[in-house]
Amino acid sequence: MNLSALRHIIRGVLLLLLQVLVLKRIGLGESWIWEYGNIFIYPVIIFLLPFRLSRLYVILIGFFIGLIIDIFYDTIGVHAFALTATAYARGLMLAYMEPRGGYQLSMSPTIFSMGLNWVLTFTFFTMLIHVFLYFSVEVFTFVYIGQILLKTLITLVLSMLVIMGYHLLFNPRT
Amino acid sequence: MNNLLQFVIRYSAFLVFLLLEVIALLLVVRYNENQKSIFAHSSNKFVGNLYSVAEDVIQYNRLQVVADSLSGQNALLKERIFNLERSLQRFAPVDKPLDSCILEPFHLIDAQVISNSIHQRNNHFTIDKGSLDGIQTGMGVVSPHGIAGIIDHVGTKYSTAISILHSAARVSASIKRNGYFGSLVWKETDPGHMILEAIPRQADILIGDTIVTSGYSFIYPKDLFIGTVERFWTQGGSNYYTVEVRLQEDIARLDRVYVIEIMDKDLYIE
Repeated sequence: MNLSALRHIIRGVLLLLLQVLVLKRIGLGESWIWEYGNIFIYPVIIFLLPFRLSRLYVILIGFFIGLIIDIFYDTIGVHAFALTATAYARGLMLAYMEPRGGYQLSMSPTIFSMGLNWVLTFTFFTMLIHVFLYFSVEVFTFVYIGQILLKTLITLVLSMLVIMGYHLLFNPRT
Repeated sequence: MNNLLQFVIRYSAFLVFLLLEVIALLLVVRYNENQKSIFAHSSNKFVGNLYSVAEDVIQYNRLQVVADSLSGQNALLKERIFNLERSLQRFAPVDKPLDSCILEPFHLIDAQVISNSIHQRNNHFTIDKGSLDGIQTGMGVVSPHGIAGIIDHVGTKYSTAISILHSAARVSASIKRNGYFGSLVWKETDPGHMILEAIPRQADILIGDTIVTSGYSFIYPKDLFIGTVERFWTQGGSNYYTVEVRLQEDIARLDRVYVIEIMDKDLYIE
């Protein structure tokens, strides 16, 4: 196992722990905002996988990370569904947002390699898909579309703040 | 055949994506239907352990508060035991020792909540006791100020319970003052309130009335305090009141809980 893979695994485990031990607990707070919002940082594990990793692997990893989160949240299948779709959407987004010269395949989509604006746009749209799908499957019907949209909006804003904070603070290179 | 193979290889990512989404949806549906998962739950050992460690760290900061609250509860309970024993002495036959007159239909197992949720549509919590401690599926879980849930999955050392804040949780509850009873359900996103359904219209209800468990099930003993009536109304021509109950227990802060084992169902029915 090479160094880069090891680094991704360690980062993945740490982000998962942050999600289930800290962010889940914050979501239990008393403020009205937690009735509608959650903070999701774990999709970053998928976003930050290297460009050269094939779509197939990204999707498989997405499914398993989603399942792990589900076990901790007692929401079997919901996170897995959303994150698998997000992993697929990541591939489409990468293809759509490919710069003229193409990607440097050994890199990951970070601020270091792609710049702040690119990362912000990329994270925003992929997270939008993720959060929207999550809440759609959570209630499992579009009857509550208003509530889904409200939850999506609040969760998206909170998660974006935390994710961009993570990017700016730790500035992951690969 | 060759074409088909090429098609599969070319679209493998998309096909795997579809397959995994179908699996995920099956899991969601299956889980929602039966309220039970097949293999993956936070009552399993690894997840339980991790939550335990995290809870230990957080507990440490709250030790004093918890100790104070427990000692307060202790005082109340002691007082109640003294009073009950004194009352019992009046009725007990003189020639028998008091201890032999005391029935023991219940056994309580104390447990610590190590994971909890309140903002989902179906909420669960996890406790640090399992089958080794005598926990079984279907036992009621009570908290110091009310009821908390019903045991759902039992692992060897950890168990999960469906919270009363769960769409499948129905608790038989009654109005203490006049004995009218109905089902207590959770419908809204508000973790502080539940709805008591099917109270007949002729019942006289007052705001602030005490709601207790009815005892018409083998889950909770009779007359456990749940909460108070906040408001009530009838829905268009219905013959039943809908009563909004303010829960005494703050489910978000669930900490120490007691799992109730009914030792002797015959005594209980009596």
